[in-house]
Amino acid sequence: MTVTFRQFGNDRVMENFLKDAKAEFEQAHAGTTIDLQPIVASNDDYSTKLQLQMRSPRTSPDLVYEDTFLINSDIEAGYLRPLDEYISAWPEWNNFVDTAKAAGRALDGKTYGIPTGTDTRGIWFNKEILARAGLPAEWQPTTWNDLLTAARAIKAAVPDVIPLSIYAGTPLGEAASMQGFEMLLYGTGDTLYDHASQKWVVGSQGFKDALQFLQTVYSEGLGATPQQVLNPNWNDTVAQELIPKGGVAIAVEGSWLSNNWLESGANPWPQWNTVMGWTAMPTKDGQAPGKVSMSGGWTWAIPQNADNPDAAWEFSRLLNDKAHQLKFAIDEVQIPVRKDVTADPTYAQANPSNEFFASLVPITTYRPAYAVYPRISNEIQVATESVITGSADVATAAGHYDNQVRTIAGDAVVAAAGS
Amino acid sequence: MSTLTVGPGRGGTRRAPAPVALMRGLPLAPAVFLLGAFLAWPVVYCVWAAFTDMALTGASGADFVGFENFTRAFTSAEFHQSVFLTVVFTVLSAIIGQNVLGMVLALLMRSGHRVVRAVVSAIVIGAWVLPEVVAGYLWMALLGDGGSLNEMLGAVGLPPQNWLYTAPILAVSIANVWRGTAFSMLVYSAALSEVPKEIEEAATVDGAGPARRLFSVTLPMVRRSIATNLMLITLQTLSVFGLIWTMTRGGPSNQSATLPIYAYVQAFQFSDLGYGTALALVLLLIGGVFSLIYLRALRLGESMT
Amino acid sequence: MTTESPAVPAPPAAPALAGARRAARGRRSSHVVGKGVVNLVLLLIAACFVVPLLWVVLAAFDESAGLSVSWPQPWSLGNFEAVLNTDTTYRPMLNGFILCGGATIITIAASVLAAYPLSRYQSRYKRPFMLTILFTTGLPITAIMVPVYGMFVQVDLIDTYLGTILFMATTSLPISIWLTKNFMDAVPIELEEAAWTDGASPMQALRRIVLPLMWPGMSVVAIYTFIHLWGNFFVPFILLLSNDNLPASVSIFTFFSQYGQVVYGQLAAYSVIYSLPALLLYLVLSRRLGGAFAFGGAVKG
Repeated sequence: MTVTFRQFGNDRVMENFLKDAKAEFEQAHAGTTIDLQPIVASNDDYSTKLQLQMRSPRTSPDLVYEDTFLINSDIEAGYLRPLDEYISAWPEWNNFVDTAKAAGRALDGKTYGIPTGTDTRGIWFNKEILARAGLPAEWQPTTWNDLLTAARAIKAAVPDVIPLSIYAGTPLGEAASMQGFEMLLYGTGDTLYDHASQKWVVGSQGFKDALQFLQTVYSEGLGATPQQVLNPNWNDTVAQELIPKGGVAIAVEGSWLSNNWLESGANPWPQWNTVMGWTAMPTKDGQAPGKVSMSGGWTWAIPQNADNPDAAWEFSRLLNDKAHQLKFAIDEVQIPVRKDVTADPTYAQANPSNEFFASLVPITTYRPAYAVYPRISNEIQVATESVITGSADVATAAGHYDNQVRTIAGDAVVAAAGS
Repeated sequence: MSTLTVGPGRGGTRRAPAPVALMRGLPLAPAVFLLGAFLAWPVVYCVWAAFTDMALTGASGADFVGFENFTRAFTSAEFHQSVFLTVVFTVLSAIIGQNVLGMVLALLMRSGHRVVRAVVSAIVIGAWVLPEVVAGYLWMALLGDGGSLNEMLGAVGLPPQNWLYTAPILAVSIANVWRGTAFSMLVYSAALSEVPKEIEEAATVDGAGPARRLFSVTLPMVRRSIATNLMLITLQTLSVFGLIWTMTRGGPSNQSATLPIYAYVQAFQFSDLGYGTALALVLLLIGGVFSLIYLRALRLGESMT
Repeated sequence: MTTESPAVPAPPAAPALAGARRAARGRRSSHVVGKGVVNLVLLLIAACFVVPLLWVVLAAFDESAGLSVSWPQPWSLGNFEAVLNTDTTYRPMLNGFILCGGATIITIAASVLAAYPLSRYQSRYKRPFMLTILFTTGLPITAIMVPVYGMFVQVDLIDTYLGTILFMATTSLPISIWLTKNFMDAVPIELEEAAWTDGASPMQALRRIVLPLMWPGMSVVAIYTFIHLWGNFFVPFILLLSNDNLPASVSIFTFFSQYGQVVYGQLAAYSVIYSLPALLLYLVLSRRLGGAFAFGGAVKG
């Protein structure tokens, strides 16, 4: 039985985790051997190779590690098989958080992937810099205006730092769509996609408001310069160099950020948990639920062409039991998708920011990651880029986005209410 | 083997009757087999794919859509921009940059000191043998915001540059000149080494200055090498992918998205194989146009037989 | 360092030029100043070429390196220690040697064989063939990998070294045949004719007479082919499924982690190691060639 997963760089955590699980599984199931196939590549190349492999029974793995970003289009392509029959005989499914369950569910209502971990997004801030601008160590913005006010105060009081780092533009790819734009859009009450009618939304006020916020940040010099943010490595620079050096005051970032600063990370920074604070991204005017977060994450799925689907399911059940998900969440700095893991005290103790970022799971939003999402996401990046560089005003950029969505999604487009 | 022998039949070739010709062509078999099996079929398949809406994921199936991919391309502003950028990149980095710099180096090498020659060619060739991805990172580190170029400019009191942002196509072109000049330099060094010194000296005796000597004596004698080299580096440069992808990923705002980048994004990021393949065919056509221009302009065709 | 043309005696200079040579000798002294300027300009160009290389050298010895160039504090071999292990470096490098070395040998062998009839005989198919070959050198290989994968699955070559080597060899064949044919054109046929009259077959003549004269040129083709394959990521990535088979060009992705965070110091150290084989191959071959590549007849068209 073959298990294919994406290995992230020289991060051996996943590999070791699976090796241990493999040994355990083979001991319990004499006669079954598991062949672990890591693919080390960029996200695009990983999915390309995985899709090619799944196309043919000869090369298809039995169990695959699927990004929620792509699972829907792979379902649509017929690469994956529904797991509902297996799940109905698996009581542990009740321990999974509903929002996470939805990430592996397709338009047909069936579940194709078991979520194994997720991430959330929020605000990281440097307490020392905020103190110099007269802001409390327990700073908690409740509206977008609070963010802007704080950023302006920092700009005035502390020169030479980036007051508010929020991503935009095409070079950063999905980081600009998710950590940047979508964190704003989903705090306005509007959405990218209307699940009820299964159509992409155009012409929403929220879309313009989110662009307007970015324009304000960049035109007032409250963020990085457009040059900086339009460098494909900018998010590395922010996480690994600028934040530890005290060059960024507030950053809209992911739950995994401290990964960089741990002993095992790219740039160890032992003081991070005393210098940095974290809080939730507020909704636009503080409307309920008051905070917003976006989530990605990965699932375990079984290809349509798998030779041993039953064995694959058995193995994924082991990977997704409480003990394994707890270990995985701690080692990978992942947010658990099982309630019993989140509640486990060892998880909260493992990393000081764990508890907070896990608390965002109930209110988080998963991307509408259907087949055309990568192209829609690209259009979002184009819109944000033209606004921050000043090459288009908000209305023009939003109008261009609407036209592009109509081209990409064809009939599956709905005009936002009140537009 | 001097450049003076012009025209066909250098090898004293002759035609043969059919059965003999077949025997004589036998050594071609392994190459023809490999090219036929591993290249011809995939290319034929791609030509077909370019007329379908084939996708790697999402709604599956590959329905014939006629010229839709091509009309979509020719009516898209992004495509026009990427064709333009491809031509700019090729002209700047290959036809002007690598070609001229390679020739300048080769000419200077002729009268350079032995040690200097050794050092210079080692460095220039070193840049050529570096893997593309590595070269891309080097240039990003050099041209980036806090990169070494700005530190150097700052040290001598000059304002910082940010070409990766303001002129990305220029930045990747310069990087490609750095990476590829060695090839042209080697070609031209070899060609110049075969120009008899006496001819140039005779021109000097006749009172020709260095510039005049270069343009009316030396360069015409190596024009064949120039033409062939231009053709090779043009075709190589048209399909450069790794270097640009590492440095800019085609951005910002697609301002360095040459056709190979644009096709890759469409095929593998947006899973639109049909469209991506159609774009690759357009790239081949552009290569064909360039080749024809060279062949026409330089009557190379006859010497290739 | 001298640039040598293929080892073929240059044609004797025309006697008419001998006078010119004598006249020129008198003006040599004024060249000394000119030579100084030439050397200076050459070194200046070389200096410009060195600048981009600074980052990789400094970052490789700096454990907390970023993309900006900074003096390592302190200098350490930590990055090298981190990457010098079987999974990251040794096995991928060995795989790379097997794949790229094997493909280079096949390419050279097939090119030499193919070039012989193309160079030595006339045929009306020759010109279209050569033009097609030339045209193919501009083919973006990335674009054809999907059908190639499908084909490899059908004929059961997927995830085999043999299939990958054959495909890699094929991708470099066009330019290789083209260069080889032109090198061969530079070898005068008179030498072979002498061998033919002694009763040697064309293939014997090729092996005994033509190849020894061409081998500087063939080293050029070999290194050109090897460098191209050594840097190619996409082809082995798609055609090889088992992680244990992947070459060094693919393992560079080991340095990019989950959210695109790059460990720059290790990336730089790995880049240095990864570039060495190509550099060494060049050094070895160029020494044997008397210090420089002989591109002699290859690009006369």
